[in-house]
Amino acid sequence: MYAPLLANRYLTSRIIPFIAVAAVALCVALVIVVVSVMSGFLEMVRASGKTMTGDVVVTRPITGIPYYQDLIKEIESLPEAAAASPIVETFGLLQMQYGTGDGGKQIEMVEVWGIDPASLDRVADYSRKLYWSRPADAALAAMAPDDPLRNPFYHREADGMRLATADGRPGLVLGIEISPFNRRGRDGAYRTSQAPGAPQDADYFMPNAGKVILTLVPVSEGGSLGGERKRDFTVVNEFQSGLFQIDANRILLPLPVAQEMLRLDAAPMVSRTEFDEDGRPKVIGETPGRATTIVVRARPGVAAPALRDAVRGAYARFHERISLDRSMPVNPPFPDLVSIETWEERLSDFIGPVEKERELMRTLFSIVYIVCAGLVLAIFWSIVQEKTRDIGILRAVGASRTGVLWIFLRYGLLIGIAGSIVGVLLAWAIIARINDIHNLLGTAAPAWLRILAWVATAAMLGLTVRGTLRASALHVVLWGFGTAAMAVVSVVLLHHEGFLIWDPSVYYFSRIPDSLDWHTAWTTMAGGIVFSVIGASVPAARAADTDPVKSLRYE
Amino acid sequence: MNMLLEADHVKKTYRLGRVDVPVLRGASITVGEGEWVAIVGSSGSGKSTLLHLLGGLDRADADSGPVRFGGEELNRFGARRENRYRNRDVGFVFQFYHLLPELTVLENAMLPALVGLSRLRWISERSALRKRAAELLETCGLSHRLGHRPAELSGGERQRVAIARALINRPRVLLADEPTGNLDIHTGGGILDLLAERHAAGLTMVMVTHDAAVAARAQRQVRIVDGRVQ
Repeated sequence: MYAPLLANRYLTSRIIPFIAVAAVALCVALVIVVVSVMSGFLEMVRASGKTMTGDVVVTRPITGIPYYQDLIKEIESLPEAAAASPIVETFGLLQMQYGTGDGGKQIEMVEVWGIDPASLDRVADYSRKLYWSRPADAALAAMAPDDPLRNPFYHREADGMRLATADGRPGLVLGIEISPFNRRGRDGAYRTSQAPGAPQDADYFMPNAGKVILTLVPVSEGGSLGGERKRDFTVVNEFQSGLFQIDANRILLPLPVAQEMLRLDAAPMVSRTEFDEDGRPKVIGETPGRATTIVVRARPGVAAPALRDAVRGAYARFHERISLDRSMPVNPPFPDLVSIETWEERLSDFIGPVEKERELMRTLFSIVYIVCAGLVLAIFWSIVQEKTRDIGILRAVGASRTGVLWIFLRYGLLIGIAGSIVGVLLAWAIIARINDIHNLLGTAAPAWLRILAWVATAAMLGLTVRGTLRASALHVVLWGFGTAAMAVVSVVLLHHEGFLIWDPSVYYFSRIPDSLDWHTAWTTMAGGIVFSVIGASVPAARAADTDPVKSLRYE
Repeated sequence: MNMLLEADHVKKTYRLGRVDVPVLRGASITVGEGEWVAIVGSSGSGKSTLLHLLGGLDRADADSGPVRFGGEELNRFGARRENRYRNRDVGFVFQFYHLLPELTVLENAMLPALVGLSRLRWISERSALRKRAAELLETCGLSHRLGHRPAELSGGERQRVAIARALINRPRVLLADEPTGNLDIHTGGGILDLLAERHAAGLTMVMVTHDAAVAARAQRQVRIVDGRVQ
């Protein structure tokens, strides 16, 4: 019965155990924060990878898939599929007139998607990706007073869904990061202005006055380039997928326009040997319109691989049916020539390395467990050294070796539990506020904080002087180090203009992942406890071996 | 008078570095039930070592004679019996009190009882044990100090707590190593009075001292010189 009493007293009546708890807590928090950010990054990659692609993607680049409407019907009849949408994918040149007053123009290489907004919305929630839309009431209430989305002028979701201007001309939707005037604030909201930090200005709002020229080059089935096709467009909205790579490179335009510009639209088929009365080649049919990509959404509860297999079967049936139909002048590509992949398979080159990096981090940071055990061992060793006489007394009054061993193992267990709980709470607090912390680091320190730092420096200097006058070496050393540290902090704050570690253009995402990886938290917590007990076991065994006579002989 | 404790030509040698230092060279002592024996001798004569052997804190050399308690040889005790012997059969009082600083006076006095109790028995006997410890401390004049820590007590008070701790399990013999060696004459006198009361109540006591005046309070004195009893 004495073991819990003493373990609890040792824990609560001394400073050393709190140092051990702090050491374990820091180790645990370190692992959880790092792995949580990595896991969050991976999840964001996964979630964003799925953005605008659905669960399964059918691709036949450049020449596309004819009779894609029939294929979509075939796919949508599958019990595994919820919806499918056609896309024409290509690359193009986007010429933007920035309206800077000096006639400045900029040409960007962009990824072009010709889409059908209605069906893409069913597959990939297209409407939710349109940035300039009226937010939900709850989100609206939480927005900053100067957030442009508070103003109905900026609500352009109808134009975005039509992919057309109010007068019916085809429009473009740009990735939100394409326009250099879109500046993302610390609150995550975009504001349009010419200069960084300048107030919101509707003149630089692309869906207001953005005129762009898009140039596409069609490619024939034989691989030869057709003549360039250039067309003026009005920007009608901008989208935010959350993946910087997409937001900075992709533009959307109506599917029929993209088909027409790339010569993938329906066209008359003429004979090479027969001619009409005017001497022109005789029209013998019509080549169908084509889509290079079909994105498919799974029904709830259906896994992407199951849908992929079903879509492969649907494509094989579609191919067979069309090929056997003599009324269809064009055959679809053979199934082997069409890529049908889940979104994860499509992004495996990108997701795979991130997964490996996370596992590498997890493995490398396992070393922290050994550090944790080492810290507990060192601290407990000194405690046992200091408590030798107490252990001798316990042995003298009949405590067994096992009993003494258990005191210190229990002590280690309590420290492990307390440290791990504190570590998880600390990690949770950091993770939950990681973007705020990051933003804080990214801004110059306020005047009050700079003044406070200097006041603290002066106060510590005063305590150092007092320690010197009282000839207390401990106070001089402690407060001296404190003064030096605070002086460095004060100087840094004075010159700190803010720095950002998380660069969206490098990490693809505009925000640092801020959700705790609970699986990692629990396993790290368990690891912290186990390794604390392991660290405590060596000093505990030493304590159990204490010879009562030797420990009590001398005072 | 029944024989309670007996050491028969016991030997004990300590090893200091590469040198063997014989401390006891065949010391013999007998202590009868209810007797108060003082072991006297100069510093380094081996009197504390003899007390440790009698209390089962240390073991005699392999070629030593036996140490017996109630006829049982201590050298033949297993670990469990040895722990029980230290816990139940003997009570120790040390010169430097050796109280645990993290525990209160009451908890220090209860410590040997706590060592001997399982959790279940602690639940059932807790109240009785607290009551007994409080009564013991009251007889030692410490009823007003139950919640204090050892650091808050004077030397004499600490030694009284140590005596209460030694008596909590109602041992058959009390072993005291210089119980007044760290106290002034007046305070030491009070401690000896307390021990005398216990002896009068029937407790067997073996007390180590180098002070002739203190030894004079015992019924019988055993002088140890150079590791042998004279």
